[in-house]
Amino acid sequence: MSGCPYFQKKFVSTSKQHLKEDENDDSQTGVNKASKGGRIYGDYLQLDKIVTSQVLQSELKGNKIHDEHLFIVTHQAYELWFKQVLWELDSVREIFISGHVSSLKHEDLLFSIIAFSSIDLRFFVHREYLSPASGFQSLQFRLLENKIGVPHNQRVPYNRRHYRDNFRDQESELLLHSEQEPMLLQLVEQWLERTPGLEEDGFNFWGKLETNIFEGLRREKEQIEQKPASEMKEEMMAELIKQRDIFLSLFDVKRHDHSSRDRRLSYKALQGALMIYFYREEPRFQVPFQLLTSLMDIDTLMTKWRYNHVCMVHRMIGSKDGTGGSSGYQYQYLRSTVSDRYKVFVDLFNLATFLVPREWVPKLDPSEHTFLYMAECCDSSYCSSSDDSD
Amino acid sequence: MSGCPFLGRKLFTSKPSQAEEEDESQKGINKATKGGIVYGEYLQLDKVLNAQVLQSQQKGDKIHDEHLFIVTHQAYELWFKQILWELDSVRDLFIKKHVRDERNMLKVVSRIHRITMIFKLLVEQFAVLETMTALDFFDFREYLSPASGFQSLQFRLLEAKIGVADHLRVPYNRRHYRDNFHGQESETLLSSEQEPTLLQLVEKWLERTPGLENDGFNFWGKLQANIEEGLKMEKHKLEKMEDSEVKEDLLAELNKQTEIFTALFDPKRHEHLLSKGELRLSYKALQGALMINFYREEPRFQVPFQLLTALMEIDTLMTKWRYNHVCMVHRMIGSKAGTGGSSGYHYLRSTVSDRYKVFVDLFNLTKFLVPRSWVPKLNPSIHKLLWSECCFLKYFTLTLSLFQCHYTFRM
Repeated sequence: MSGCPYFQKKFVSTSKQHLKEDENDDSQTGVNKASKGGRIYGDYLQLDKIVTSQVLQSELKGNKIHDEHLFIVTHQAYELWFKQVLWELDSVREIFISGHVSSLKHEDLLFSIIAFSSIDLRFFVHREYLSPASGFQSLQFRLLENKIGVPHNQRVPYNRRHYRDNFRDQESELLLHSEQEPMLLQLVEQWLERTPGLEEDGFNFWGKLETNIFEGLRREKEQIEQKPASEMKEEMMAELIKQRDIFLSLFDVKRHDHSSRDRRLSYKALQGALMIYFYREEPRFQVPFQLLTSLMDIDTLMTKWRYNHVCMVHRMIGSKDGTGGSSGYQYQYLRSTVSDRYKVFVDLFNLATFLVPREWVPKLDPSEHTFLYMAECCDSSYCSSSDDSD
Repeated sequence: MSGCPFLGRKLFTSKPSQAEEEDESQKGINKATKGGIVYGEYLQLDKVLNAQVLQSQQKGDKIHDEHLFIVTHQAYELWFKQILWELDSVRDLFIKKHVRDERNMLKVVSRIHRITMIFKLLVEQFAVLETMTALDFFDFREYLSPASGFQSLQFRLLEAKIGVADHLRVPYNRRHYRDNFHGQESETLLSSEQEPTLLQLVEKWLERTPGLENDGFNFWGKLQANIEEGLKMEKHKLEKMEDSEVKEDLLAELNKQTEIFTALFDPKRHEHLLSKGELRLSYKALQGALMINFYREEPRFQVPFQLLTALMEIDTLMTKWRYNHVCMVHRMIGSKAGTGGSSGYHYLRSTVSDRYKVFVDLFNLTKFLVPRSWVPKLNPSIHKLLWSECCFLKYFTLTLSLFQCHYTFRM
């Protein structure tokens, strides 16, 4: 009947003879430990709180709408997972702050975010019972944005003006704190600045790279110039000049500081990131490379979440006024947040602009460049299972 | 720089321009500062977000991953509650006989479909917990005993209300699952087993399928006649063939088919299997299901067909959920016993079985599919059964008011 690989014949028929066989089956042995303290699971998970917190406003007002329950549970599930994401995020920030970055389990953070971005359910709701409750009042969502590193001055104007007004007292303080404490972006930036191999009096990655790139570009130019005149030659030359301009901008520190709106990482941090990209296969850089990839995944998932939210809101309420008082086209406000402004690690994405042929990458020699396989510190106070120091 | 389709050029310059501030999407006031019910209160977040207490921390040995363990289970229980909410509302529609008005079938199908969408989420959610290694789990597992998923009341209610049969549960399950609940919880569980299950309600509904009446369209009688005639003709054709191995094989195949259909039209045999627990639906319900399958393109049967599909989807997703659970537990604790006292992963594996498939008979209908030409012909001018039960005029005036609300669903 079924193609299930674990399906054994004896479970198909329920004739008495087979029932006897079942009883002797090892998988059916065991005792029942829990029958003595029945409520344990429920106590452990405090289900008395969780499962009794769905109160339909429509019902309170004497007009119970079935679908409001789904609306409530969906948001509560989101908030539960926001809490988990914050838990992971704060622990990661702590690890950076304490300096024990080699113990980073970035995948945990990543998957928590995957969880909430895959929730995609549609529902119908009577919005009149909800006013003025609105997602603008989700404290955890704001904490999340701040702790990852969404900069205040990058928020779209409506958001920038109002996002703090929704919170009072303790919540407001928590929010303020999250803006002042080190964000993930800042911590990663400092970590990148410490990438081994950047030292000018050491391996001097940046100096070597600059030399190689312009040497490489010069040779390309010579090769093209030797070709007979043609339209294709013109195009190749134009392309080369564009490339050269891009790399000129890369090595121009003044240019970097000037476009601070588009770039979030410091110049040195950018160098560190490129170093990790180019040498990602070296054992020392393998996991750092995975971290950079995961950070970009977080940005991608968050923006996909925002866009999913936009699409759903548009379908639900079209151009009606949002319950939070944002413009008549609430979905347009939300739409404006689907933007690179909210991409915290946007610089990592843009590094793809500066990829070069492998031969241009400065050669590494393990016998000479010992930083490739030696970890930074052998800190005896490090212990993988504890969150607090010994 | 980015390929984002919603990125307007003006958002990219270094100074916030006049134009940006005047952008339509940035207008609006902030209603929330005035008071009234707010987000956190509406969702009772003070309860929901203060329910995470790590046992390892209580015992002075805080293990980071225990938070994920707790939140994952709480999220599951939240969604179980939602499924029960939908399930109970559907059962209610059947119990209160509202489904006699066929307009309500749309609601029934959307809600069952919603349950399947939630289950999809629950199956995918395992991936998050799987980011925890067995080693990390080992660090705090000792603080959990004897708490166990066996004590999830909502899960048992779910099984009971859909229609998992007590006598079909695997022995360990059957012996112990009730012992975990006391007092109010135990009563709730008992009630859920005594009230009509989704299976029973759907069975009654299937028995009422229009077209089954012996003195009416008499679907069953006509079908039996057509099938017997069809098989006879096939046999003639085959017998005319030249003797060969292929002919032997085809004849053997035809014999098998004939046996299957002989069994189908034997009501005593059906009763027998029903009493043994090998079948779950009554004979008449089975006929109704076949009728809906064969005539699924007729407008009246389109939504009923969607319902049968969605019910099978629930079974499939529940069994996938069980299997995903098995795989994860195996990775986490290998062959160790469970905190509730069962044999652990081996026990769970035994529950990935058709015993727990409530609508298994619908899956098995494929045995009885026949060529389109054997299906009794329907004539719309003669056969009124093709029209919905409620008056046509009334239906249209009511649907107009239904469209005032933005009711949407997706199949």
